[in-house]
Amino acid sequence: MNTTFVEKKENLIQYFKEIGEDVGNVTLFSLRFFKEAIQPPYEMKEFVKQCYIIGYKSLPLVTITGFIMGLVLTLQSRPTLAKFGAESWLPSMVALSLIREIAPVITALICAGKVSSGIGAELGSMKVTEQIDAMEVSAINPFKYLVVTRILATTLMIPILVFYADAVGILGGYMGMNIHSEVSLYRYLAEVLQSIKFSDIFPATIKTFFFGFFIGMIGCYKGFNAANGTESVGKAANSAVVTASLSIFIIDMIAVQLTDLLI
Amino acid sequence: MKQETGYQWKLGMFVIIGLVLFIGTIYFIGKQKNLFGSTFELNSKFKSVNGLEVGNNVRLSGINIGTIDGIEFLTDSSVVIKLVIKDEVRKFIKKDAIASISSDGLMGDKVLTISAGKISKIVVEDNDNIVSKESVEMDDLLVSVKKSVDNAAIISTELATFSYNMNNGNGALSKLVSDEQFGNSIKKTALNLENSTEEFKKFTTKMNDGKGALSKLVSDQRLGKVIDSSLTNVKTATKGMNEVIEAAKNNFLLRGYFKKKKKGEEKKQDEQADLEEIEMKKELKIGVENDSL
Repeated sequence: MNTTFVEKKENLIQYFKEIGEDVGNVTLFSLRFFKEAIQPPYEMKEFVKQCYIIGYKSLPLVTITGFIMGLVLTLQSRPTLAKFGAESWLPSMVALSLIREIAPVITALICAGKVSSGIGAELGSMKVTEQIDAMEVSAINPFKYLVVTRILATTLMIPILVFYADAVGILGGYMGMNIHSEVSLYRYLAEVLQSIKFSDIFPATIKTFFFGFFIGMIGCYKGFNAANGTESVGKAANSAVVTASLSIFIIDMIAVQLTDLLI
Repeated sequence: MKQETGYQWKLGMFVIIGLVLFIGTIYFIGKQKNLFGSTFELNSKFKSVNGLEVGNNVRLSGINIGTIDGIEFLTDSSVVIKLVIKDEVRKFIKKDAIASISSDGLMGDKVLTISAGKISKIVVEDNDNIVSKESVEMDDLLVSVKKSVDNAAIISTELATFSYNMNNGNGALSKLVSDEQFGNSIKKTALNLENSTEEFKKFTTKMNDGKGALSKLVSDQRLGKVIDSSLTNVKTATKGMNEVIEAAKNNFLLRGYFKKKKKGEEKKQDEQADLEEIEMKKELKIGVENDSL
């Protein structure tokens, strides 16, 4: 009985130690990123390539998701608004929901699934197959080449993907409106633009940079620090998705709270 | 592993379109808030802004012409609102324009409405002050609604008492409504009244047609004059007759008759007096007898 309690206590302490270690490592990893990102030389070619893979290649997925979200949100909100006779508020409500919350979070989650796991698996397998070590040997800074380019690419591409998701989502909303009633595109867009304020766009855009940064950072950290052995590649990818998704929600909560306080 | 080449332009297009979407949205929102294009400012002083916020629309004749740029306290009971309005509509706003706060729909945002003045023809200038009209606040509205509701409650109570009395009371109005017998009698009365009026109508018609004696008496002016003159004649005749009778009394042929008649009357009077005396005596006698008994 006593032994089990002691074991449990030790396990708990070990668990918290691991968490503390992880947080410490991530902090160091982030600091290293900022240091390496500022210092030349810059891996521009790799950065552009990563932007292409992360941004352009994720576009179809984000477009489809955004469109469906806009459409579904319109169709789901319509009955409730119709109860109050406020169907005319549907475009503004859908646009505000998309721009402020749904498009950034959904896009970030999609990218966490697609990009973060991809980065985690890629870097993990590189680590396992000792390619990273090989890079160091051939006088290439693997951190600069692999990590900095990817984190910068996600940080810059996620916001652009969110703009697409916003636009396509609003178009999806237009289609949703036209399933039950007839609204011209001009009228719909006028209604949408009338309801949006700068205070809706800017906080939402700023938080997407953070989403992008954390998606890239978590993917890179998990991959870069994968243990030896093939199974650790899967673990790194899986852990990257889970942690990135969770961090997105936490950042979102903090961002909404800050927006609420400041604006 | 397949090496992709020529991806840069795809990435470039992706980034450009993404940024165009973002900048386009910013531009259109800015345009709505009058950030681009020339504008001018107006100020208006209100006691209460009723929840109007910075960024709400300003309307002239129902058209959005600008936005609220700032709301500041002037004193503890007055607030000054700064309006930013498109320069192109300045010519339509005169110095005596009136600003008022209203709602966009039942649940909608507040809007500031500028209504045109009546007299002035001078166009407003930048940073001018325009007069304001305080809007009806919901609280005031509720107070008046409460008053009406209270009155309605009193009226309905009175109405309930009235209708109860009407159904169960014994008053004339109640009987009129609920008592069948009373209703029938009123109906009969009404029928009789109708008949009477019919008869009266016939009577008045006959009276007016001027054929009967009474009718002529009423309506014939000539008859009236004839009667009048006849009566005058009768008056003259009776006067003459009195004189004749007086003369006859003094005439020796008829004097005896009048004297005899006078005497007869006197005798009658005496006899009457005797009879009354005997009656009295009889009564007295009876009274004495009763006393003695």
